[in-house]
Amino acid sequence: MTTETWILDMDAGPIFEQIGRNVREQLARGDLRPGDKLPSARDLAATLSVNPNTIVHAYGELEAQGIIEKRRGLGTFIREDAPVETMRKDMLREIAETFVNEVRRLGVETDEAMAVLKEAWDAG
Amino acid sequence: MLASLVNVTKRYRTTEGVRDLTLHFPAGQIVGVLGLNGSGKSTLLKLIAGLLFPTAGEISVFGGTPRGNRARTVFLGETDTLWPWMTPADAGRFMDGLYSDFDPVRFGELLDVLEVPRRKTKAMSKGERGRLRLAMALARSAKLYLLDEPLAGIDLISREKIMMSLVREWHTDETILLSTHEVAEAEGLFERAVYLRDGGLVLDVAVEELRRDGKSVVQTFKEVLA
Repeated sequence: MTTETWILDMDAGPIFEQIGRNVREQLARGDLRPGDKLPSARDLAATLSVNPNTIVHAYGELEAQGIIEKRRGLGTFIREDAPVETMRKDMLREIAETFVNEVRRLGVETDEAMAVLKEAWDAG
Repeated sequence: MLASLVNVTKRYRTTEGVRDLTLHFPAGQIVGVLGLNGSGKSTLLKLIAGLLFPTAGEISVFGGTPRGNRARTVFLGETDTLWPWMTPADAGRFMDGLYSDFDPVRFGELLDVLEVPRRKTKAMSKGERGRLRLAMALARSAKLYLLDEPLAGIDLISREKIMMSLVREWHTDETILLSTHEVAEAEGLFERAVYLRDGGLVLDVAVEELRRDGKSVVQTFKEVLA
């Protein structure tokens, strides 16, 4: 796991939430897989120059969400039954909703928006 | 509480160092003491360290007086008082003779982590001396660390090494008060931020709560101290 996968923005809300979102995104992308080991809270804190308690908080939330588990004496791991597909779909839906909201604010009709989306997709 | 100040004022001959400060520091917090130069950051840390006596108000440290608990408090001051002929080994012997809580083994590890060169301080850069001074401070096993501007005037690489060591060495029952005006780099470390202006308390806030409102420590720094 590289440092570049953990990008924090101090203006973008609580750090513990950003760490959580980061892990879910890495799972959705396939950069992290069920069974993978996460860095220890202390290591990640040192890498990111972040208060260790913040990482502990983030890991606690991910544990409560059923995404990671502590294996005694071994460290913190992505759960084998982590709901990766659900996370992927949730994230995709979130992106879609953002798109729809922006398009609505522009006052553009559905057909036109879809056509432009298709166009942008093909161009990308 | 590890340290408490109630209505503390420190007046110098012509100016006020700090004015009517009431602050409580429990065990296990990394606190950023933030403010511009002359805002009272150093005065606050020195009062808790027992190096200054308040003009008015009460300060308690470990339930006693700051002066009576100086041996249990680590204070890293802004001024570089290292002798030019000292090597890191000399500095270690010096600290070992001075403080019963100094751990020479830990000191050696810290010198490695902070990559302090083993030569006389007069042949070191400012950043290297800053790292040596931090190693000397962190090699003591205390519950209260008062670090006055450990990042000031030091190169970026040294600053990163210092912050990494702080994160690694900090035990969750210890309290660190770190004053800085290099807010952007250090802000991730802080659980709590205390903002001072002209010796007075402007804001005392839990940092993640601040971020919940979409604000960073830096942004708040600009807002409340402008």
